[in-house]
Amino acid sequence: MVLAACAAPPAIPPGPPGRVVSLAPSVTEIVYALGVGDRLVGVCAQCDEPAAASLPRVGGYLAPSVEATLALRPALVIVVPSPGNREAVRAIERAGVRVLVVQDRTLNDLWASIRDVSAALGVEPAGATLAAELQHRLDDVHARIAGRPRPRVLAVVGHRPLVAVGPGTLQDDLIAIAGGENVMADAGGPWPALSLEVVVARAPDVIVDASMGTEAGLHELFDHLETIPAVRAGRVVRLADADAFLRAGPRVPTAAAALASLFHPSVPATAAMTPATS
Amino acid sequence: MTAVLAAESVSFAYGDAAVLHAVDVAVAPGEIVGVIGPNGSGKTTLVRVLSGTVAPAAGIVRLDGVPLASFRRRERARRLAVVPQDPVLDFPFTALEVVLMGRAPYLGTLGFPRARDLEIARDAMARLDVGALEDRPLDRVSGGERQRVLLARALAQEARVLLLDEPTTHLDLRHQAGMHDVVRALARERGVAVVSVLHDLNLAALYCDRLVLLAGGRVVRAGTPGDVLTADVLRAAFTTEVYVGVHPVTGGPVVLPRATV
Amino acid sequence: MTGRHVTAGRLARTAGVLAVALAVSIAAAVAIGPVHVSLTQALARADSPDYAILFRTRLPRVLLAGVVGGSLASAGAALQALLGNPLACPHLLGISGGAAVAGVFALIAGADPVSPLVPLAAFGGALGAIAIVGLGSRAGGRTTPHAVLLVGVVFNALAAAALMLLNAIVSYTQAQGVLFWIMGSLSTQSYALIAGVTAYSLVGIAWLMTRTHELNLLAAGEEGALQLGVDVERTRRTVFVAASLLVGAAVSVSGMIGFVGLIVPHLLRLALGPDHRIVVPASFLGGAAFLVWADTLARTALAPVELPVGVVTALAGGPFFLFLLRRHLRRAVR
Repeated sequence: MVLAACAAPPAIPPGPPGRVVSLAPSVTEIVYALGVGDRLVGVCAQCDEPAAASLPRVGGYLAPSVEATLALRPALVIVVPSPGNREAVRAIERAGVRVLVVQDRTLNDLWASIRDVSAALGVEPAGATLAAELQHRLDDVHARIAGRPRPRVLAVVGHRPLVAVGPGTLQDDLIAIAGGENVMADAGGPWPALSLEVVVARAPDVIVDASMGTEAGLHELFDHLETIPAVRAGRVVRLADADAFLRAGPRVPTAAAALASLFHPSVPATAAMTPATS
Repeated sequence: MTAVLAAESVSFAYGDAAVLHAVDVAVAPGEIVGVIGPNGSGKTTLVRVLSGTVAPAAGIVRLDGVPLASFRRRERARRLAVVPQDPVLDFPFTALEVVLMGRAPYLGTLGFPRARDLEIARDAMARLDVGALEDRPLDRVSGGERQRVLLARALAQEARVLLLDEPTTHLDLRHQAGMHDVVRALARERGVAVVSVLHDLNLAALYCDRLVLLAGGRVVRAGTPGDVLTADVLRAAFTTEVYVGVHPVTGGPVVLPRATV
Repeated sequence: MTGRHVTAGRLARTAGVLAVALAVSIAAAVAIGPVHVSLTQALARADSPDYAILFRTRLPRVLLAGVVGGSLASAGAALQALLGNPLACPHLLGISGGAAVAGVFALIAGADPVSPLVPLAAFGGALGAIAIVGLGSRAGGRTTPHAVLLVGVVFNALAAAALMLLNAIVSYTQAQGVLFWIMGSLSTQSYALIAGVTAYSLVGIAWLMTRTHELNLLAAGEEGALQLGVDVERTRRTVFVAASLLVGAAVSVSGMIGFVGLIVPHLLRLALGPDHRIVVPASFLGGAAFLVWADTLARTALAPVELPVGVVTALAGGPFFLFLLRRHLRRAVR
C-alpha cells in the first residue's frame, strides 16, 4: 500500500491547490495572512499560528516527516530550506507531490515568498495587497524615526554560543528600518558568533535579545560589563515577540515597530505601527 | 626441610574444563623443583595457582605455612616473585625502569626509587648480563634479552620464592645455561626456593633437584630426575617413544626423542 | 649515568618547566584578541572598556580554557593507559555524551544556556554515564579494558543518537544551544565557576596521580602487575572513575572539545617517555597550554567572528592524529 502510494504520482487537479501542507512557521503565517488558511491540511510542529491549532502536525521544521506529509495527500507542499530537511523534501518530490521552495533570509525573500505563495495558491491579488500593506507599515515605522540619531544596536539570537544578527539578513534590514545601526554590520556572515570582548569593544547603545534564553540568562551574560552603554543604561531588552523578528512572515512590521520603540523611546507609537488585521 | 611454598591437593577449572586435579607440589628453601609435562597438562595454570593469581577451586596453597590467600598483596609480592611467559609490553619502558618495577612492593605510592633500590636493580641486571641495556626501551631488545630483564625484575623483588614459567624459551645456548646458572646460584647462595616450568627435559634434569611430571592435570610422577625421567614414565605421559640415556658427565638421565620411521 | 628513570626531582623539573610555559601562554593569551586593548589603560581605570575586556572577558575565559584543557588531557592520558591504547580519547567512553544529553534536556526544559543549571544537569548526566558504563562493564567482579571500551563505545553511540534525536525535535533557535555541546565554548565570566572547577580538577588530578605508578606496572602486563602486589581491579576502577569525573566536569562547563585528550598526552609521551608519573601531570599542564592557545586562535583567526574552539582543536588535531595513526600502524606491522 505504501509502495503504491510512492510509485504513482497523483494527478494534479486543475485549479489552485486545495490541499496544502506548510513545513515552516513563516509560511503558515503567510498563508493565513493571504486569507486562504482553510486550504491547509497540515503544518509543521513549530507552526504556532493560533488558527492552525487544530491542524495535524507533520514533523519538525528541521526534520519533517515524509510519511505524515504524504499521508495527507497534499496537492502542494511549501517549504523553507533548513539544515536537515533537504532529504525529506527530495523524498516528497520523488513521490510526485508539487513542492514550492521559498527563502526566508532577507526582506526581499519575504516579498518573493508572498508573491510565489500567492501565485501557487491562485490568489495573486491578495498577495499584492498583503505585500503592499506590509511595505506601507514598514515605511510608516521608518518615517516616524527618520532623521533621528541612530543608536548602535546589537541583536542577539543565541546566548551560548553568543550569536548575533549580521549583515544580509531580514533582521538586519528590520534594524535599519527601525532606525538602528547594527554594530555587527561588518561581520563576514549572517550569524556571527562573537566573543564578549567584541561586544565590549563595539559598545552598543541597545542590546536586543531574540534568543530562546531567559531574562535572567540575558542579564547574567552581560554581568559586570557596565562599560557597554546598553548595560549601563539598562537598555538590554528581551523582545516580547521574538518570532515576529525572526520569521520572514507578515508580522515583520510589528517587529520593526517594537524595535523602533526600543531604539527611540521618545517617539510615541502610533496606530499605524500595529497590525491592521490579525 | 619444611616447604616454604606448598600446594596441597589443589584443583582448578576454567569454567567446566577441569585443568588441575588434586595436585601436590612443595618446594623447600634452596631447592629447585622443575614442573614438566606435555602441552595442555596444566603447567602454566599451576604457576598461576602457586603465585596466588588465581584461587584454587579445591585444596590450598601455603606460603611459609600460612594460607597464601591470607597475605596482603604487597607482603606476598615481597616473598614471592613470578617470571611469567614472555608478555607483550605496550609502552616502551627502558630495561632499568622495568627492573625497578620489581622494587614496587617496597616503595611508596609514587614508587620513586631510593639509592638502595637502584643498587639492587643494577645488581640484578648485572647478574643477568643485561646491564648494558639499562636505557634501552624494551620494545627494542630481543626476546631473549627481554626474558633476562624480566628475571632481573623478579630478582629485584628480593623474594625468597621464585616461580618461573618457561624462562628460557627464546634464549640461545649460552644464555640458557647462563640463566639457569643464575637461578641455581640464587638457590644455593641465598636459599631461594624455585619452581620452574620447563619444556626442555634435559635442562630440567641438569638444573632441578626434583621434578614434578604433570599430565592431564594430575601429578603422574614426582621425585628426582632419575626417578621421573624413565622411558616408561615418559612414554605414558608424552605418548611417544623416547630413549633415555646416561649423561657422560653428571651421570643423570638424558632424554632423546626416538624416531619412529 | 643516572639513567632515564623517573625520580621526584625529574618530575618536579618537568612540571616546573611546563608550568612556566603555561603561565607564559596564559599571559600571552590575555594580551591577544580580536580587539586591541591597552594594558596601561586597563590597570589605570577599573571602569574602562580595556579593563572589562582584559579582566572580565579574556582572563576568565583563558583560565577556564586552562583548567578544561588540563582536565581533558590528563584524563586522556589515564584512559589511554587504562584501555591499553595510546590512541584512545576521553570522549570515547560515552561520559561526554551522557553529559551533553543531560545538558540538552536542561536546555529544552527551559533553562538558559548560561545558567548554572545546565552544567549541573550535564554533570549529573556524566555521573549517570559513569555508573552505567562502569557497572555495565563489570563481569564476574572484573573490569577488563576490553569490556570498558565496548560498553563505552556503545553508550557513546546511544548518546550521539539521542543528541541527533533531540536536535531534530527542538526549534531552530534551541538547536543553536545544542551546537554548544557539539562544538564547545569556553566563554565565561564567572571566577567562581573557574575556582570551583579548578579545585575539583586538582582533586581529580591528585587522585589520578596516586595510581600512576600502578599504571606503569599494569602497562608491563596484567599478570606481572598482579604478582608485584597491585590490586589491578581497584586500580582500573579508580582510574576509570577519576578520569571520567574529570571529563564529565570539563564537558559540563564547556561542551565536547575533542582532540585535546588525544593529542596532548600522545605528544608528551613521545617527548617524555611512557612513565605515567610524568605523563599525567605533564598532560595536565600541557593540555592547559594547548587549549589556551586553541581558544586564542578561535577568538582571533576570523575576527570579529569567533570560531567554535572544537573546530580549532579538530583542525589542529585531525591531521596530527592521522599522522600518529599511520606511525602506529607502521610500527604494528613491523
